[in-house]
Amino acid sequence: MNELEHTGKAQHELEHTVQSKKTLLKATAFAAVLALLIFFVAILPAEFGVDPTGFGKVMKLTQLAGQTSSAQAATTQADTTKQTLPAQEDSVDISIPAGKGLEYKFYLVGGDAMRYGWSTKGGELLYFDFHGEPQGDTTGYFESYTISTANNVRGSFTASFEGSHGWYWKNKGQTDIVVTLQTEGSYKIIGLK
Amino acid sequence: MSFKSTSIIIIFLLACLIGLPSLVLAHGVDDSTKQFLLDNQGVSIIPFLYIGAKHMVTGYDHLLFLIGVIFFLYRTKDVLVYVTLFTIGHSLTLMSGVLNNIAVNPYLIDAIIGFSVVYKGFDNLGGFQRLFRYQPNTKLAVLIFGLFHGFGLATKLQEFQIPNEGLLENLIAFNVGVEFGQFFALTVVLIVISFWRRHRSFLQFSTVANSLLMSGGMMLVAYQLTGYFWHTIG
Repeated sequence: MNELEHTGKAQHELEHTVQSKKTLLKATAFAAVLALLIFFVAILPAEFGVDPTGFGKVMKLTQLAGQTSSAQAATTQADTTKQTLPAQEDSVDISIPAGKGLEYKFYLVGGDAMRYGWSTKGGELLYFDFHGEPQGDTTGYFESYTISTANNVRGSFTASFEGSHGWYWKNKGQTDIVVTLQTEGSYKIIGLK
Repeated sequence: MSFKSTSIIIIFLLACLIGLPSLVLAHGVDDSTKQFLLDNQGVSIIPFLYIGAKHMVTGYDHLLFLIGVIFFLYRTKDVLVYVTLFTIGHSLTLMSGVLNNIAVNPYLIDAIIGFSVVYKGFDNLGGFQRLFRYQPNTKLAVLIFGLFHGFGLATKLQEFQIPNEGLLENLIAFNVGVEFGQFFALTVVLIVISFWRRHRSFLQFSTVANSLLMSGGMMLVAYQLTGYFWHTIG
């Protein structure tokens, strides 16, 4: 404990040793080299799907990135030319309980479009958030297209990325509200979430 | 190396490994939490308390910084002073950030948080005293970096349009949760560090430990900056 006594002069402050320039340089260089090494070997492949060393592929780290939105964003373009879902038409009644909010979603491939129209049965005003979440995203990212309060909305929309797109409705009233949603386009129904 | 110091290092590494699963989680908010935040209406004290605490316990960037801050604090009183300063700092920006809707780019703010870890590691090595013959005020630094950590927390919460109804109550609950989580994490860290301090290996390896801290901070900076360019520009 000799070293402790030497450095313990100022009892009320940080009791650390001031390292020599050589040690500082070594420590900083070591820190930087280690950080860069792990960044290129592990973080880039696992988080971004970029694999400059080839190590990420060998260790299957790049597979992790395959599920993230970042990698998805990079492959969205390829996806749009690759596959398009057949066109379909649907109509559904969704009951939103008093004081509750719920989501109704559709799966769309980037570049595909849908036309939609929804209205509340009794003409009640309803808060909504029309938004999309990239496929496989785990970061909680989502993009809102429209946020408003209305009882009747019509429009069309082209997905800019593959993922689930749809509405979040919030019933702030005392009675249940029924929404009739009509859609037409190339999508798959995910439904209530 | 004696058997004792070897076992201490093994315990320390194990402690780090236990923390690893949280690295696998995205540092944002997980899916079920997100769903809750989207669906939630009105005041929900306990869930927000829990989300706040969970965010802190699994938030490795905040934890790395705190480890750096308390690394050379030997007295309980000093630990309390520094942690209080950090708490004041992050609470100020967390509350005002969300209430005034101040939006900061999450990647840039997380990069600054990563930088705070590098700064503290370098500071713990006595880097400023050696290179500039000047010790920047450590208390002020903790306060200022606390402000940035709070902006980070605020940005995470703002990604969800939390309804105005009950916002203040929920925000206070989240903030209190952050303090609970911080207290819990700090207790574990303090137990491990004070146990390690009793051994000679602490001073022998404090240089290595703080270099590792710097390295971890650098990784966070590189990771977040890449994320920034990847999503914002690319």
